Amino acid sequence: MGDFIRREICEGVAFNSIADDRFKIGRLSVTLVVPLNRQTAAANALLSSVLTRSCQAYPDMTALNKRLNELYGAALYAVVRKIGEFQIITLTASGLEDRFALHGESVSSELADLLCNILFEPNLTAGHFVPEDVEQERRQLLEDIDAEYNDKRFYAINRCIEIMCRDELFSISRYGGREEVAALTQEQLVAAWKELLDKAKVEIYMQGRADPSKALERFTAFFGSRPRRLIGSTKHISEVKEVRHIVETDEITQSKLVLGYRFAYPVTNRQRVTAMLLSAVLGGTPTSKLFANVREKQSLCYYCACANDNEKALLIVDSGVEVSNIQKTEEAILEQVELLQDGKITEEELVSAKLAVKNAYLSAMDNLPSIQAFYLQSILRSERLSPDEAAELAETITKEEIVDMAASLRLDTVFSLVGNE
Amino acid sequence: MMNMTTLKDERFDTSYYYLQHASGLKIYVYPFKGFRSTYAIIGTKFGSLNASFKHNGETVTVPDGTAHYLEHKLFESEEGDAFAQYAKTGASANAYTSFDQTCYLFSCTERFGESLRILLDLIQSPYFTPETVAKEQGIIGQEIKMYDDSPDWRVTMNLQQAMYHNHPVNKDIAGTVETIAEITPEILYECYHSYYNLHNMVLAVAGNVDPEEVVAIADEKLKPNEEVCTESLFPEEPYHVKQSYIEQTLPVSIPMFSLGFKEAVGDGGEPSTKDLLCTAILLEAFAGGASPLYRDLLDRQLVNSTFGSEYRHGLGYRFIVFEGESTAPEEVAAVLKEAVRTLHQTGVSAEAVENAKHCLYGTMARSRDLPSSVARSLITGAFLDRDPFESAVLLDTITVEDVNERLKQQLDADNCTLSVIKGLEGIAES
Repeated sequence: MGDFIRREICEGVAFNSIADDRFKIGRLSVTLVVPLNRQTAAANALLSSVLTRSCQAYPDMTALNKRLNELYGAALYAVVRKIGEFQIITLTASGLEDRFALHGESVSSELADLLCNILFEPNLTAGHFVPEDVEQERRQLLEDIDAEYNDKRFYAINRCIEIMCRDELFSISRYGGREEVAALTQEQLVAAWKELLDKAKVEIYMQGRADPSKALERFTAFFGSRPRRLIGSTKHISEVKEVRHIVETDEITQSKLVLGYRFAYPVTNRQRVTAMLLSAVLGGTPTSKLFANVREKQSLCYYCACANDNEKALLIVDSGVEVSNIQKTEEAILEQVELLQDGKITEEELVSAKLAVKNAYLSAMDNLPSIQAFYLQSILRSERLSPDEAAELAETITKEEIVDMAASLRLDTVFSLVGNE
Repeated sequence: MMNMTTLKDERFDTSYYYLQHASGLKIYVYPFKGFRSTYAIIGTKFGSLNASFKHNGETVTVPDGTAHYLEHKLFESEEGDAFAQYAKTGASANAYTSFDQTCYLFSCTERFGESLRILLDLIQSPYFTPETVAKEQGIIGQEIKMYDDSPDWRVTMNLQQAMYHNHPVNKDIAGTVETIAEITPEILYECYHSYYNLHNMVLAVAGNVDPEEVVAIADEKLKPNEEVCTESLFPEEPYHVKQSYIEQTLPVSIPMFSLGFKEAVGDGGEPSTKDLLCTAILLEAFAGGASPLYRDLLDRQLVNSTFGSEYRHGLGYRFIVFEGESTAPEEVAAVLKEAVRTLHQTGVSAEAVENAKHCLYGTMARSRDLPSSVARSLITGAFLDRDPFESAVLLDTITVEDVNERLKQQLDADNCTLSVIKGLEGIAES
């Protein structure tokens, strides 16, 4: 991987180019960050699908897809995420590196133009998006939201977080609400588009071999005179008065058990990496406490794992079990968390967690989407963290630091989705 | 000097290396310049389909789910659990069983040699006792139940169950809680000795790797194997689907469908590289993102962006599938069948074929950026005794006539099955 060059186009808008000659596919993406709000989240989610469907240059979806095929199966798509209490919208164009084009085309500059077109020159007529486009994308987004219920593991985790953070902005889905999406008007969509371009924090990433100067020029021409400052922050709760136990039922064979914990917000890069190690020791690897004890020793489940969210400072443990084993599994998980808090981490557990975390950081460097996803994790931070720095930090973190952080873990909500006996 | 043969991934101008090791193992090494990570995978041509076989002249039938069970149990040796050993190297290890393969793999950024030694030991040290086998019942039982709740998996398995009368592709890879209860250490040893012979296996390493190091470790670790003769047995399978419709009710908020077009398998072998390319082009042209069909289905509000098509094939089975979420699965099926009938009359256009070929070339390039994808292609290619990278070269030569000729053997509208996962009452309308 070559140089990482960051240029501030203006306040709140940055163009990052990462020269990389290892790949056959290059990519360019624009990430827009806005505070999470139910109304605007719905509008931004629908807007991002409408934008990637067509533009002035290709006003028809099928024509646009044909063009993308011609450009050797290039991809043009939007992803909507939630990081802390912010909504993160990323529009990406990825496609063949120019040197592999069969007829000497410059795929990279075509794609840079396309990405700018869909963002800056959407298919508006008389100030409105094409009604069929909006209705098509609205229907699909609603179906997408409905389908979140189909994947029970994903659904149970989301339910737990929703219940746990019911009085916080974090309970808002990345797509806003179903009802809000259904009720969106043309005016709201157009307003959302203008608002995103004027007020969102913007991070542009260009990765690959292509010369970034032309794309930089086009983004500078648009954003150069539009400075902005991201407002808002994520609320962190570190104390829990009472653990909530919520049970819901569903017609499923395997019950789902989710334990939602809060922990002290990791401020520094060192604390962020410590949280990763904590999560790895507890349930991030096949030798972690949860895997080794709940699965391997007690044969209670196929999976029992945990994942940490460093921006909201949550740690989620989840497992799929027999109805009759829910209680037993919960106790087994609580026991492992207590052991961790009591400092019962063996040298082997510590070493293997460090190796696994380092491996994950360094492997991420070999994949363009992973590299970008890694940097996105720092998007709300003033201090950037590179995978190499993270791997180096992991080496030096002590058992005591992990135990200290584990001491801040507070169980907040236990959610079970109970199936048939 | 290295004794590996240098091969070429011609279209993308990359060299890779091959060796048939003295032990019988085929070894492929595909270095990626500038990469930090390495992906290593070893596979045997043994999956859930191989439940009946002839070994040393004796016919054996094992319980459904045995291949997958064996995969879980091979992770344990007399010295302990392979996961515990990988934990000391930092490699991320895993394994999977498909219809026709079982593969063990790891990816790492350091201590590659140590991890490769663990991998090669793992597949050479079976250790099954009644206790270790019994312990896995609970874990795999929960894995099976997890899949029972997965609408994506159920819609596919139900489809295959309804399409195939006798071929074992109609059964779940992991078996059922009942069939796995019959698995014993003896059965696992029998399968191990029949299929985990190095002559039946392939090692592929891609990413940050020195081919000489791979060979040196293979020389150190691999014990020569006597070639065994194991013949997998498959029942006769009629051309026509068993049932044209199957449905299941699950707690989903939007129904899912899978429409499969079963086809003849000829001599029972695998389709050629050229046939596979023609089918891929056909599907992209007929139902891909730029096709009029996809647009029509969207405009009629019958599908969403989860819609897709795929060609699934293996020893003794071949079918094309169209699948996705839909509030009206039977209508989708009707539109698709009608479109297929029309397609047989009109054929695909030369323009659509060219457009699809461009798209496919990009897809191939994308796969070359992933060591995991390259290594898996090498394994599958070796099992079929063909060069997996030949398709990128052949692609240029495929004509519209080739694609339309191929079409004649595929997509028989009178030989398809619709599988549907319906929501519970009251949920579908929410």
